[in-house]
Amino acid sequence: MSMPSIYKTLGTSVLMAGMAFGSTAALAADGPLRGNVRVVIGSTSTGGDTYQNSNIVVDALAEHLDLNMKVDAVGASSAFRFLDRDPRGNTLMIFHDQSYLGYLYGVEGYEDIFDKYTIGPTIAINPGNAYLVPKDSPYQTLDDVIEAVGNGEEVRVAIQPGGVSEIGFSALKNAIAIEHPGMEDNLVAVNTGSQADKNQQLFDDQADMINGTVQANEQYTRLPEDDQKAMRFLWLTARNSTIEQAPEDGLGKTTREQLLQYVEPNVSVPMGNGDDFTFDKEFFFLYNKDMDPAIVDQIDQALTEIYAEGEIQETQKNSFFIPNFKPSEEAAEYLETKMSVYEDIITNIQ
Amino acid sequence: MFDILSLLDITFFLLAALGGLVGIIFGAIPGMTATMAVAVCLPLTYALGLNHGLALLLGLYVGGISGGMVPAVLLNIPGTPSSITTTFDGYPMAQKGEGERALRVCVVASLIGGLISAIVLFLFAPVLAEFSIKFSYVEKFLIILLALTVIASMSRNMLVGIFSGVLGIWLSLIGTYSISDGGNGHTRLMFDFLEPYLFEGFSLLPVLIGIFGIATILLEAEEGVKSGLAGKNIKFGKGGGFSLGIFKGRLTNLVRSSFIGTFVGMLPGVGGSAASVLAYTQEKNLSRDSSEMGKGAPQGLIASESANNALTGGALIPLLSLGIPGDSTTAILIGAFTLQGIQVGPLFIPENADTWYVMMIALVFANVVMFFLMFYAIKHIAKVVLVPKYILYPIIVMMCVVGAYAINYGIMFDVWTLLIFGVLGYLIQKVGLEVAPLIIGFILGGQAEVYFVKSLESFGTYSIFFTKSPIAVVLWLLIAASVAFSVTMGLKSRAKRRLETSQ
Amino acid sequence: MESGLSSLLSVSIDFETSHLFFPHIIHWLMGGLFALILVFNVAPFLAAVRRGEKTLPILGESMDKFRFFGTLALIVAYFYLMAVVGNLFPYTGYGFLFVSMAFLFLMSLMYMHTRTRRKVITAAINALVAPSLAWFILAKLFQITLP
Repeated sequence: MSMPSIYKTLGTSVLMAGMAFGSTAALAADGPLRGNVRVVIGSTSTGGDTYQNSNIVVDALAEHLDLNMKVDAVGASSAFRFLDRDPRGNTLMIFHDQSYLGYLYGVEGYEDIFDKYTIGPTIAINPGNAYLVPKDSPYQTLDDVIEAVGNGEEVRVAIQPGGVSEIGFSALKNAIAIEHPGMEDNLVAVNTGSQADKNQQLFDDQADMINGTVQANEQYTRLPEDDQKAMRFLWLTARNSTIEQAPEDGLGKTTREQLLQYVEPNVSVPMGNGDDFTFDKEFFFLYNKDMDPAIVDQIDQALTEIYAEGEIQETQKNSFFIPNFKPSEEAAEYLETKMSVYEDIITNIQ
Repeated sequence: MFDILSLLDITFFLLAALGGLVGIIFGAIPGMTATMAVAVCLPLTYALGLNHGLALLLGLYVGGISGGMVPAVLLNIPGTPSSITTTFDGYPMAQKGEGERALRVCVVASLIGGLISAIVLFLFAPVLAEFSIKFSYVEKFLIILLALTVIASMSRNMLVGIFSGVLGIWLSLIGTYSISDGGNGHTRLMFDFLEPYLFEGFSLLPVLIGIFGIATILLEAEEGVKSGLAGKNIKFGKGGGFSLGIFKGRLTNLVRSSFIGTFVGMLPGVGGSAASVLAYTQEKNLSRDSSEMGKGAPQGLIASESANNALTGGALIPLLSLGIPGDSTTAILIGAFTLQGIQVGPLFIPENADTWYVMMIALVFANVVMFFLMFYAIKHIAKVVLVPKYILYPIIVMMCVVGAYAINYGIMFDVWTLLIFGVLGYLIQKVGLEVAPLIIGFILGGQAEVYFVKSLESFGTYSIFFTKSPIAVVLWLLIAASVAFSVTMGLKSRAKRRLETSQ
Repeated sequence: MESGLSSLLSVSIDFETSHLFFPHIIHWLMGGLFALILVFNVAPFLAAVRRGEKTLPILGESMDKFRFFGTLALIVAYFYLMAVVGNLFPYTGYGFLFVSMAFLFLMSLMYMHTRTRRKVITAAINALVAPSLAWFILAKLFQITLP
């Protein structure tokens, strides 16, 4: 390398570094939230609903607060650890009901989030949690399943253990225990992994019913009955009022009207207290307990303004999320009640 | 069909080419992968619209998978996990000064693998998807077992090689029996105080680049980093000694490996690295002159790279006809579709015919672009080995750090994994264990566990592995053939060695 | 006979302890193979060492201690300091940028056998340019989180 070209390279790199530094410095904001903010999520997938939903909200926040914010799909156990170590507010977390369901099911790596963290605002619902059977299944409704199990028939349900995928199964088991005491053990969990694995269990005839989602399984429900892969929805765990807010066209070629057939009160899974069980997978922020409360307020404030503008709701609905903004305090109270309901169910069936 | 042409414009092809270029760069940097390239560029597709976005992403995918060959051949570091088998023959060739020739073989093999898989995808996607769901846990376990048999045939000393492979499997089991695979989420094989770091076990990529990259540097440091250059007596000049004649008599290998790659890519959950390992095994077993494999034989490169690029088309089969990603990169592609409000599933192809054709065009075009970009850039890329080691090695360490840190979106323990496995790689080579079997064990160990345990959980008897289906029986025959082959080869080479020493 | 065989092959896995099932098999395999290696490979090797025909790995070999342990020490310092400095400027990648510059320069110096002015200047420029380039492209352009 000749000398002049060395100086040239050197000059360019210094210039480049200078420009880059300059641009970060210019982004210094006025609020308590400062510097670059990293939002870690409890999922390792960048194709999944948590990542997608977090990105929608974080992008809006970053623009509104004029900050550098970035979503990183590090997974639950790493995300909790990052959050534990950073009280400055540079690390925030977004996750869903798994964060406390994991704790309720006693999964390693989960602790009581209400005790250990500050709960931030809820941002949206993924209303897609569903249970499906093969299209040629003898079970026409969820009641048929409950009846069959009550009569001593074994029904195998493919789920991913320890959280969102299991809670509907637990509630069903609980309902059977109430209506047909002693028969609930005939509802058997087939513990498996991804959606592909669950579908495969159904194709292999190793399961009679699977946990799935509207998004991933909708096309399977439209296959002709003679297709080995054809499925049928039996139950969506979402609240009726949640599906009511979905776009009228629903998803794919299944309209909102059709989806509403599969939610309560059309499908009823009693909890024993007069109410039917429902489960909405809700996304919310989690903060380090020692983080400056001013940051909590700042994010609440910013999100209130963003949701007031109304644009973000459209984006969320386009991706089949149901907007559901609740500021921190309201969210914490709401989620804690939600957890206690599920805690009862899980202790009941143990 | 003419409607499709109206969807294509200059921007479409430019984006596919740009994707190919950026993908190659990502793939060529040790630690950066096709998956990362696609993930990083995913947000861009929202602004681009569906067709343009897909062109970019498919370009990135093809480029990223192909780029992995560069560090594999020149530096003995697999740029992506699936180029692991490329190092076996590529690096010995580079050391003999044939780096450029090796890379050209790889590029041609990649192109053909990519195109064959694209054709298979186009013609047979729905049929193959139907076939792929016949593979339950049992059959998938047998596929992994078949891939594991390569350990026996590739090790210098069979006993030591198998031990190294089992050690690799053991290392892969450290951490939780993951819930996302249907496990119970309990940790094993570690001390409690390590749990915060080892909860999810060691990540594949840092392990790979640690054991290949950092260990190589440690071995060099021990020798005192003597010669100034990484490569010796390099043959440059016209094509670096490459001619298409290398492929003469290798057509079967090329086609077989491409089909293996497509097929393994198509099985959801059976990771991409299994494809090149399996293709390499089969070439080793079936070819008449496989004794040079592992010492710098172009046929090894052909098997590895054609299989590895054939993954692209293969992994798209379950994605587009079942809505199930065939590998980690296609998992992110789902995000691209969802962003555009399109669901993938069994009805995707019939309901989105336009998008389907557009994707096929992008895929084929990306493969062609990749070929021309790489084939003519190789002359310059191969000169990396001319960089003095005191400049090159620090840069390699730095890039390994970036890759390791970024692979799981910013986890410092992954960087320490580099060092742990760098030192481990150094030690195992010193005590005479074998690296390649260990790595293959590590790559396949986790899947072997899940498929094995889940099969038994479902059926409750070991006999299911033999009686599940005709596919299982066929797989057992292949496994038996593979084992028998490596035993006879082992005995033959031992007899030969005896003969040589006695003379 | 038939039932005897099938009961031999039958297995029931308790989900709660299923995480230990496969590792258990692997342990047995490893133990068995290790014993075989001790008998067939290690014992003859040690005998050869005793006869003075071969040398022990690592211990018995000559090595460039300065460069070997220097490399290890530098890498450890590099990884450690990167996180520490990075923590001072959260999620900017400056920890990576600055510590990499120092690391690249020191490692280059260590691996040089003759330190001419020209070589040192090349190393210094490389140490400045390479991390800046990596940082700029990855952290700034592609927004990848760096330490």
